[in-house]
Amino acid sequence: MSTALLMMVLTIAIYLATLFVYRRHRRLYTTPVIVSTALIVIILLVFHLPYETYMTGGKWIDRLLGPAVVALAYPLYQFRDILKKMFVPIMTGTVIGAVVGIVSGLLLSKWAGFSDLIIHSIVPKSVTTPVAMSISESTGGVMPLTAVFVMIAGIGGLLIHPFVLKVSGLTHRIGRGVGMGSASHAIGTSASMERDTLEGSISTVAMVLSAVIVSIIAPGLTLLFM
Amino acid sequence: MNRVFIVMLQVAGLYGIYLAGSWIQQALGLFIPGSVIGMLLLFVLLSLKIIPEWLLQQGVAFMIRHLPFFFIPATVGIISYAHVFKGKGMLLIVIGLFSTALVMAVSGRVTQMLVKRREEA
Repeated sequence: MSTALLMMVLTIAIYLATLFVYRRHRRLYTTPVIVSTALIVIILLVFHLPYETYMTGGKWIDRLLGPAVVALAYPLYQFRDILKKMFVPIMTGTVIGAVVGIVSGLLLSKWAGFSDLIIHSIVPKSVTTPVAMSISESTGGVMPLTAVFVMIAGIGGLLIHPFVLKVSGLTHRIGRGVGMGSASHAIGTSASMERDTLEGSISTVAMVLSAVIVSIIAPGLTLLFM
Repeated sequence: MNRVFIVMLQVAGLYGIYLAGSWIQQALGLFIPGSVIGMLLLFVLLSLKIIPEWLLQQGVAFMIRHLPFFFIPATVGIISYAHVFKGKGMLLIVIGLFSTALVMAVSGRVTQMLVKRREEA
C-alpha cells in the first residue's frame, strides 16, 4: 500500500475512533480534532516520520477544507433574516475583536522580548490559516510559524472557551457566536455549530468579517505599535 | 440512488464552487481565500434561488457535521514547529491563549450588549 493511502486511512480511522468515543463520552478532552491530532503526532514521532511524509496523504484531506468552508453558506442563508437584523452588533463586536487580537498579540510578545519575526507571525493568529499566512507574508512574518499560532488560537480557543464564556458572562447565542468566530476562526465555528446552528452561523459570519477586517487593519496597526 | 452516492456528488458540487472561488481570487488578485469567496458565491446563488436548497443539502450536512476532520492534517503541522516553543518559547503559547481569550470575551460582550439593547427596543 502506498504511503499516501496509508496516511489517509490512518487519519480517517483515528478520526472515526475518536468520534465514536466522543459520542459516548462527550468531554472537552475527548474532542475529536484534539485527540486525533495528538494521536497522529505521537505515531509520527514514534515511527520517525516527517510531516512531509504524512502530508503525501494528508493533503487530500486538507484539500477538502475548501469545500467544507463553502458549505457554511447554507446555515448563513438559513439565518439571513437574523443576520440582517443584527448586522450592526455583529460588525461592531467583530471590529473591536480584530483590534484587540492584533494589539494584544503584538504588545505582549514585544514586551516579552521576542524578535520582530515572531511578533509579525503572531499578529494575524485570530483569522483562518490562508488569510493569516498572506497577512504574515505582507508584514514580514514567517508563514509556517503563523500557521502554528493560528492553531494555538483555534485549538487553544476550543480548550478554553467553556471557561471564557462562563467568566465573561456570554449567554446570548449571538454574542457567543461572535466571540468564537472572532477569536478561533473555523475551529471555533465548528464548536459553535455543534452546540447550536444559529450560534454556528453567527460564528461563520464573524470569522469571515474578521478575516477581511484583520487583513485590512493589521499592516497599519503593526506599523503604529512596533 | 443511494445516500453515499448523493453525498459524494454534492460534495463534488461544493468542490466545484470552491474551485470557482479560487479562480476568482487569482483572476482578481484578492487577499481573501478562494474558499471564503466560494462560500460568498454559494450564498449569493442560494439567495437568488439559482441553486435550490435541496440540491446540495445532504452534502452540506455531511461536510458541516465532520468539519473538524478536515482540520486534522493542518493541525498535525504543529509537529514541525515544536522547537520554537521550547524554553522561553513556552511564553508564546501563554500569550496566544491569553490574547485569544481576550478577543473572545471582548468581542462577545460588546455584541451581546448591543444585541440585548436592540431586542429590548
